[in-house]
Amino acid sequence: MVMVALPFVPLLLWAFSDRWFFPALAPQSWGLRAWIYLFRTAPDQILVVTLQSLWVAAATACIAVAVGLPAGRALGIYVFKGKDLLSIVLMLPVVVPSLCVAMGLHLWFIRLGLAESFLGVVLIHLTFCVPYSVFVMWGVFSNYNVEFEDQARSLGATGVQTVVRVMIPMTLPGIVVAGLFSFLLSWTQYLTTLIIGGGKIITLPILLFALMASGDRPVAAAVSLLFVLPAFFTLFFSARYLGRKGLVGVW
Amino acid sequence: MGELILDRLILRFGRRTVVEDFSLKVADGELVSILGPSGVGKTSILKAVAGLLQPAGGKILLDGRPLIGTAPEKRPAVMVFQKPLLFPFLNVEQNIAFGLRMRRLADSKIRRDIASIMELTRLTGLGRRRIHELSGGQQQRVSLARALVVKPAVLLLDEPLSNLDADLRQQMRDLIHKIQARTRITTLFVTHDQAEALAISHRVALLLEGRLRQVGSPRELFHRPADPEVARFFGGTNFLEGRFEKGALHTQVGVFPLPGFNGNGHRLTATIRPEDIVIRERGPYDLEGRVVRTRFEGMATRVWVQSGNTLLVVLTPDSRLTPGQRVRMHLPPEKIHVFPPPPDERRA
Amino acid sequence: MTEERRPIPLKRLPRTGAVRPLALLAPALIVVLVLFGGGLILGLPQSLGYLPAAGMSKISLKHFQRVLFDPDFFSSLGLTLYVAGVSTLIAAALSLLAAMALVESPRWLLFIFQIPLTVPHLVIAIAMAFLLAPSGMVARLFQNLGWISGPGDFPLLINDPFCIGILLTYVWKEIPFMTLMILSALKNSGMEMLDVGRTLNAGPWQRFRYILLPILLPSLGAAGLIVFAYTFGAFEVPYLLGQTYPMSLPVWAYRNYSDVDLAARPEGIAIGIVIAVGVTGCIIASQRLARGQKRRGTVF
Repeated sequence: MVMVALPFVPLLLWAFSDRWFFPALAPQSWGLRAWIYLFRTAPDQILVVTLQSLWVAAATACIAVAVGLPAGRALGIYVFKGKDLLSIVLMLPVVVPSLCVAMGLHLWFIRLGLAESFLGVVLIHLTFCVPYSVFVMWGVFSNYNVEFEDQARSLGATGVQTVVRVMIPMTLPGIVVAGLFSFLLSWTQYLTTLIIGGGKIITLPILLFALMASGDRPVAAAVSLLFVLPAFFTLFFSARYLGRKGLVGVW
Repeated sequence: MGELILDRLILRFGRRTVVEDFSLKVADGELVSILGPSGVGKTSILKAVAGLLQPAGGKILLDGRPLIGTAPEKRPAVMVFQKPLLFPFLNVEQNIAFGLRMRRLADSKIRRDIASIMELTRLTGLGRRRIHELSGGQQQRVSLARALVVKPAVLLLDEPLSNLDADLRQQMRDLIHKIQARTRITTLFVTHDQAEALAISHRVALLLEGRLRQVGSPRELFHRPADPEVARFFGGTNFLEGRFEKGALHTQVGVFPLPGFNGNGHRLTATIRPEDIVIRERGPYDLEGRVVRTRFEGMATRVWVQSGNTLLVVLTPDSRLTPGQRVRMHLPPEKIHVFPPPPDERRA
Repeated sequence: MTEERRPIPLKRLPRTGAVRPLALLAPALIVVLVLFGGGLILGLPQSLGYLPAAGMSKISLKHFQRVLFDPDFFSSLGLTLYVAGVSTLIAAALSLLAAMALVESPRWLLFIFQIPLTVPHLVIAIAMAFLLAPSGMVARLFQNLGWISGPGDFPLLINDPFCIGILLTYVWKEIPFMTLMILSALKNSGMEMLDVGRTLNAGPWQRFRYILLPILLPSLGAAGLIVFAYTFGAFEVPYLLGQTYPMSLPVWAYRNYSDVDLAARPEGIAIGIVIAVGVTGCIIASQRLARGQKRRGTVF
């Protein structure tokens, strides 16, 4: 427990300190300077960047779920030729560093006008968010009994009704978790955003690196705390609805 | 050798007591079943003997030596669990060899022991199979072989048949019976299936609500239950209450002669098994009643008969009875079992 | 995993057919093949020096050569392997202990233990910097205890040659992940298996060696592999907490890629491709190894 909490101690202390010189163990004077700076002095910056991050991550998550759901269903329910190969291909982006992909795509994105654009950043995030979403939904659908759908059909439900009234409600927690995971992955991306976004699309991690370089510890700590919020939300939600198992996928 | 004595064993989970004051003596070479509905702590008793559960009180003695305080791996008692729990990373042979390997026995000895135990458990030829290539019955036999091969002083079987299909269960039951008769390993067999317990055991210990209700031969428990609840567990539903006077039990529905019984003036409860009541059209009878309900069960028909304020259940080969019909019943005196009066009433 | 392997009961019988699943998979496959596969494949000509935009159109292996024969490559590779390997090994060993400690722990404890799972690497790296820097909290603590007399006395723990800060960040993040992976194997009849072993007279060491390890090794191996692959190709943590020389491979790749001199760009991509090939090869090799071991059927 102590080990888990330890890294958060300096973040909290720094974020609420006004002056804290070596070698004092606690800040000499507490205060909200960092937060005032963020929300009063430079609200444009933090607000724009946070919203930018939110939109990118939300768009990525929505597309990742929309694409991952049918794929997860295919992998979880059906047996077909080439399934092993296809699943390996789909999972490959989980292990191959996204850095390599981003560097390869960059030039072509410039040509297609996708570089330094919102869409370009979402697309590059999708390369690794989609596999994660597929992975989560795969797990969800391998525990899903299709006979519920057969039952619905035999009770007179149409194809669309079956999907809307049976499949989606039954897999909803999984869908939400897949979405949250994809959101989080996109939210925490630094390098791919930097390469494709080219300094035009600035998200929170990019801002954080800049703050670390500038050495303003209280502000960096405050932004870190802001940055970590969705992580806690995701944790609470998935612990509540999926238990232990589903969480592993987020790492 | 393996005489096992459980003396006033108390088992608790947290603050909840699951087994209270359980005493049982299992003679060397005996097979005793612990019978009872699920959740009465049968498995806990086995685990206590195996050492996997620390009793809150009482003693466990093996050949006079106390077992409590000895680590499970040092006890000469081996447990076979409800699930086969075979090690998935080992094949059949390696699974059976496990206990011998833990004792660091020589390879040649291990090979010989495995071969003979595999023959006994009808696994010959399956030695190289992977665990997931086995059927449920085979898996459970491997699990049994794995326990038997270490020649334990006490074998603890925890519902080893409950995950099997009906006919497979029969075969397995016979196999266990045969092996136990051959090896004469002292065996504690836990089950919730009365037929299983009655068929396989030398003696049966009935556990209801965490308490030992009766120990005895299968026949004793079935025909001479210690109290109405034991009778009910074995499907006895007919209870006659009354006062014993002049060699007969006087109840509200009738008078039943009980030869060879004395104890004038006592209030008594007696029982008779459904299959022991005879429905007949002519000849002497003890009771008359009206059929309330019938249920055809194949070899017999179960008939509910209302007689006065008493509802009797009769199991009869006659399948033509219909509700509303009046019937005469004969209750053979030798089939009527009188419960010994509870200790507190005897004093009064 | 040690799930009960029995014939699939009828109700869970998987559906067969090829057309529908392919249609369902199509969107995901398009994303992965076009964007991910495309990225890797399009990177290749660039790494071979085909960058018309920068006035380079001669295809040659010189960039790969220059990268692979650069002495810096080996120091970078060594450093990257060191960080990935050591952090994975430490985390694996600690996860084994943690899993055994947590297997019967209350839910809330498990929940606390899971917190690092979702916390971004970047945040932990920053926290480590605050903790371990020469003017960080640990140094302040030591100063107050009188163990050191100034920030200069404090051992270098971030941007240091042994990558202590990086290792600690990774270990902190990885332990819960690996623990949860092996915990499900352990809970899935693993504890009962240990009981079986006990009644069959296996002592504590024997239970660990002959039951626990074989049960947990597949999931521990898989978890370790994922973690190793990730740390091998990760950028943020070494970028923030690493020293300036030698750099980890991904940092080196990015440095080259973002160099003002466009001529260095192919080299950056070349390093990227080397990383990708290395990671993929590593995964395939270990898969083969695991499958071979499974087929031979014994870890005993």
